[in-house]
Amino acid sequence: MAAPMAAPCDHRGKAASPGRAQGPAYVALDPAVNATGPTKGDARSALEAAVAQAVEDLRALSARADAESAGLLDFQIEMLLDDEILTPAIERIAQGDGAPLAWAGAMNAYIDAFDGDSAASDDDPFTVKAADLSDLKHRVLDALAGRPPADFPAGAVYVGHDLPPSLFLTHDWSKGGAIALLRGSAVSHVAMLARTRGVPMVIGLGSLAVKDGQTMLVDGAEGFVRLDPTEPSTVPIPFPVKPLPFPAPAQSRHVAPSSSSVGEKVRLCVNINTLSDLEMIDPALIDGVGLVRTEFMFLSPAEALNEERHFDGYRRIVEHVKGRPVTLRMLDLGGDKPLPGLVDAGSGSFLGQRGIRLLLAHPEIARIQARALMRAAALGPVSVLLPMVTVPEEVAAMARLFDEEADRLALLGTPFARPALGIMIEVPAAALTLDLFVEAAFFSVGTNDLMQYLSAAARDEPAVVHLNARSETALFRLMDQVCAAASALGKPISVCGDLAGDPEGAARLLATGFRDLSVAPSRLAAIRAMMSPTQTGAAGL
Amino acid sequence: MSKPNPLLPHEKSGNRWQTEVEVTHGIGLHARPSVLFTRLAKSFPCSIEVAVVGSSEWLNGKSIVKVLGARIRRGTRLRIRAEGSRAEEAILALGELVRRNFDEDRKHGRADGRPL
Repeated sequence: MAAPMAAPCDHRGKAASPGRAQGPAYVALDPAVNATGPTKGDARSALEAAVAQAVEDLRALSARADAESAGLLDFQIEMLLDDEILTPAIERIAQGDGAPLAWAGAMNAYIDAFDGDSAASDDDPFTVKAADLSDLKHRVLDALAGRPPADFPAGAVYVGHDLPPSLFLTHDWSKGGAIALLRGSAVSHVAMLARTRGVPMVIGLGSLAVKDGQTMLVDGAEGFVRLDPTEPSTVPIPFPVKPLPFPAPAQSRHVAPSSSSVGEKVRLCVNINTLSDLEMIDPALIDGVGLVRTEFMFLSPAEALNEERHFDGYRRIVEHVKGRPVTLRMLDLGGDKPLPGLVDAGSGSFLGQRGIRLLLAHPEIARIQARALMRAAALGPVSVLLPMVTVPEEVAAMARLFDEEADRLALLGTPFARPALGIMIEVPAAALTLDLFVEAAFFSVGTNDLMQYLSAAARDEPAVVHLNARSETALFRLMDQVCAAASALGKPISVCGDLAGDPEGAARLLATGFRDLSVAPSRLAAIRAMMSPTQTGAAGL
Repeated sequence: MSKPNPLLPHEKSGNRWQTEVEVTHGIGLHARPSVLFTRLAKSFPCSIEVAVVGSSEWLNGKSIVKVLGARIRRGTRLRIRAEGSRAEEAILALGELVRRNFDEDRKHGRADGRPL
């Protein structure tokens, strides 16, 4: 695979995220390092360790607290020291649940028993206790999440078969560094994250004889790596030059819209993967947040099951954009987005339990997120996107789940608002039947997945990825139809896939009739330049 | 070892001691009272169980999860039984704790944050 290019030690791969960086290699070729779920025995001891950790934290807190607070903390300590509190969770672990799901599920059931007859009186002290029990639940989830996945040194070049998105997201890229993958795909989620963050990435190297610590250069634009580069290293570039449009544009048969062809306002929103993306966003320059990929905000099951973490993250987004609309997508797990111990990875699962299928199969996760979403919706204009929807019944089931959780929040007196539910258009069966989705208030087209499913070519499978890119004609025929159908139904439709962030792709979407695009923050300038001098809807532009 | 307590009737059947007491605490066995009750229970080596009068379900008196879960409110009559070493002493001490309103007036504030 190592075809020489500029020097004997160059190795050719494929470009996945532009930019050049060099640094010591970090070789992670042991597949076992990647997200494997814990065994049952591990889950039990992990939970016991987390409880012990939480007790220790509480004792430290209690020692410093005033008498009244100490009383409340002592209550939590006493609860955690009681073996009974672990019994239902351990039963769930024995049935195959991971530690965080087992704990959160068992505690939710216990707390629900307190909420149950609270309708009788608002200030029933036994109901008030539910807040303390929630606190307790979250404290143990925090302790479970406490051990971050094995990270690699900042500034290093990651060499591996593939890179889990969670590892990418927890790593400190501010010191530079790059990614060199033996397999990998340019349309995988981790490649998307790398382009958003400006981390050079080369994929499809096949094999690479490199030792830990060996200096290597990654050229993510040309798609090669160089071992022991002889030229003096340029300073690693953490945020390299403007990323190239990706996927590589086909011949310029795309027609940029003239100002006359785009008479109406175009809404330009941003996609957000993590809270750190907020730093790149000036709320005055956007019409809103068109897509929050919540699955990237919570990197361990313990975080994903923690309602407070969800709420806190959503609150920060809503507050940052100062009243502009925010569309939060429910956890789109599965496919190449595993959650260790909860959701397994693998191409097979692109066609399996992913997105809303997974949420409906594990309603406990969905309920936690639904509550946090509705609490956030009380703070500003929030709508909710459902991922990977195939049939209307899935939307109806999720709407029922929201209604049930809304009742629960109302009972507790927690402020909330019931947000509009919209659906991702990424499964062809849904794309062809928008009219049947009566309960969907709006649509958002995920072009990356729609292309993958139209071409039946998994986006993380290098051997077939060319078919994925070649399905563009089919994609645009379908997009024509989707756009017309939404317009006939009078329901809003937007495009949030990578295509919208590529100036030529965006131009073609506008020509097709789409007027609402959501792109990565790093793509805003390029898309705005493409649309100029046509006006966007953003204030002051 | 046991302290005679004429105010708290109790009885022995086999190796088991049992007593019954009314919960008069302002709220019932919520957080702080449950902590005090189960901590005291755990200081005895014998097994200790509690049941609300009218319910046939006996709960582990050393488990705050169980005691709190039973939502024992003011006005409830509570049965306490113990078996094993120091069983009589245990039921008397626990019964007294309930009767003394969990020593609430010795505290500055109340765990539920309400004024005294």
